[in-house]
Amino acid sequence: MTVIEDQNRMLIQMVKEFTANELAPLDMEIDQKGDYPAGLFQRVIDNGLLKITLPSQYGGAGFDYTAAADALNKMAIGNASMAVTLEGHFKTIEQFTKYGQPSLNDKYLPSAGHRIFAFSMTEPSGGSNPKGISTRAVKQGDNWVITGDKIMITNGGLAEVYCILSKTEDDQMAVFVVDKDMPGFQFGKREDFIGLRGTPVGEVVLDHVVVPADHLLGKVGQGLEIGDNAHADARVLMGAILAGIIEHELGIAINYSKERKALTTPLYQLQVIQEKIADIAIARQNTRALYQKGAQQKVANQLYAETAAMAKSYGSRAAVRSGDEALQVLGGYGYSREYPVEHLIRDARAMELAEGTIEKMNLEITNAEIAK
Amino acid sequence: MKIVVGIKQVPQADSVKIDPQTNNLIRSGIQGVINPFDKNAIEAALRLRAQAGGEVILLSMGPDSYVTSLRDGLAMDADQAVLVSSRALGGADTLATGYTLAKAIEAIGDVDLVLLGRQSVDADTGQVGPIVAAYLGLPQVTFAESISLESANTIIAKRQLDTVIQDIKVTTPAVITVRSELNRPRYETPVNIKQSFDKAVTVWSETDLNLDPEQIGQAGSPTKVTSVYAPEKKGRQTTTLPTDPTQAVVELLNKLN
Repeated sequence: MTVIEDQNRMLIQMVKEFTANELAPLDMEIDQKGDYPAGLFQRVIDNGLLKITLPSQYGGAGFDYTAAADALNKMAIGNASMAVTLEGHFKTIEQFTKYGQPSLNDKYLPSAGHRIFAFSMTEPSGGSNPKGISTRAVKQGDNWVITGDKIMITNGGLAEVYCILSKTEDDQMAVFVVDKDMPGFQFGKREDFIGLRGTPVGEVVLDHVVVPADHLLGKVGQGLEIGDNAHADARVLMGAILAGIIEHELGIAINYSKERKALTTPLYQLQVIQEKIADIAIARQNTRALYQKGAQQKVANQLYAETAAMAKSYGSRAAVRSGDEALQVLGGYGYSREYPVEHLIRDARAMELAEGTIEKMNLEITNAEIAK
Repeated sequence: MKIVVGIKQVPQADSVKIDPQTNNLIRSGIQGVINPFDKNAIEAALRLRAQAGGEVILLSMGPDSYVTSLRDGLAMDADQAVLVSSRALGGADTLATGYTLAKAIEAIGDVDLVLLGRQSVDADTGQVGPIVAAYLGLPQVTFAESISLESANTIIAKRQLDTVIQDIKVTTPAVITVRSELNRPRYETPVNIKQSFDKAVTVWSETDLNLDPEQIGQAGSPTKVTSVYAPEKKGRQTTTLPTDPTQAVVELLNKLN
């Protein structure tokens, strides 16, 4: 085992232990209350989980994306909401490390170990078509003045630093880093979503927020590229989270089918049940293969956007379908809120929409295939 | 304060199986982990270090593969680790292990406190801590469930026994074995995991420590294990008492008598 493999093994073990002790026991409560219990997010910070991918020069651990994806996969088996919260943070840090000027990174990244960073593209007018955004950045002297309304931001309200996709006066796209403490920054409403109910998803309103010129992430005109990159980075991690949700669904189906009998025969010995369990297991394995391939391609500096789209497109459909199969194995109990299967279906359903709909994924996959 | 924590690698609790042919524990292919009580000892050492300064040195005896558990301890934030490893040490019982660890502690030198888990979960003897203390000629407290620093060289350890609670004041250097009630061990953190690979793991052999060949490994082990076996599972018997309360009480009393 190489040093990196050994370090990754230790990270996975740590995340598994943390998840088993701190997150999994609260999974149902988080879904029912629609929020993280008091103190839970602080324990995530205190145990350094925001620092997994943060480069070491900024006080982070500097694990690569394959390790981060595997870590979120394990976390999602116990609680998908917190895994999605970390996914939103990790994908944003990736844009700083890829596009950020050293002065901007030196200013912000040291705080990424204890403050959540978020990336915001969607507006009330639309999500998957960033060219239609109305947020404006106007250059005034050495500053930019930003005005707009951003919605459905993963970790909106919880995050303290926001990357805001805007249009400049000459209709170019650019991303600006905005701090929640800047005058004119306001949090809007939190969405009342049916799934991933722990993950805050909210609105940010910017009313003539003045940001220094060096808060420009990358260059003016690079906004769409950065947005696409953030999407691809998010989708790899979402594939990992979806594989975790399917693993959770599989575990519930297997455990129940061992305990429950039809007359004297345990359910798992019945062929109709075996087919369902096998289908869920195959879905888990396929989703795992896709996200791991995407992560490996990213780490190897290869093209990975198509694989990332596949991981999310295939994984989200598979997780919803697997949840439905698991529910069927449990029968009436599966339909009850006392059992977690129904909330796993709702959690998985969120990822058929977030970071681009399945239809958008499949369009991108088709375009990539045709261009080959 | 220079604190040595003795740790043992044990098989992960939920993966232990016994070979029905040989009656031995099946260890191959099983991921080793730090003995859970030893993690409490590491946590206690780290808290004392936070209070009094100094360093925490992990010490273990075993094959090369034990480095993974020492690395886990370093990722909890211990400062350095020592592994005593050699084929000549194989087959050691608690006496030979205690002797070897005591010699290593002497070699580390100027140690103020030795902490160990109260027992290992795979052997359950609880003997190594006291044997180490005996070899070092140091005062010992076993089964501590709280440890507090009273002064630079005085520790008060509370131990709960079956019928009494004892507060024991002990001057350092000393040996203390700890219970799981003592604390909740911290998690490794991602940053500490990375940094643990920059910390020193020193490997010593029997020659480095100038150990007496008659006191190490199988030669130094009077304990002879003839067999290890899983206790036979006893089927539980169920008796249904009569529905009439009076008869039920009479029958129950008869059974209890």
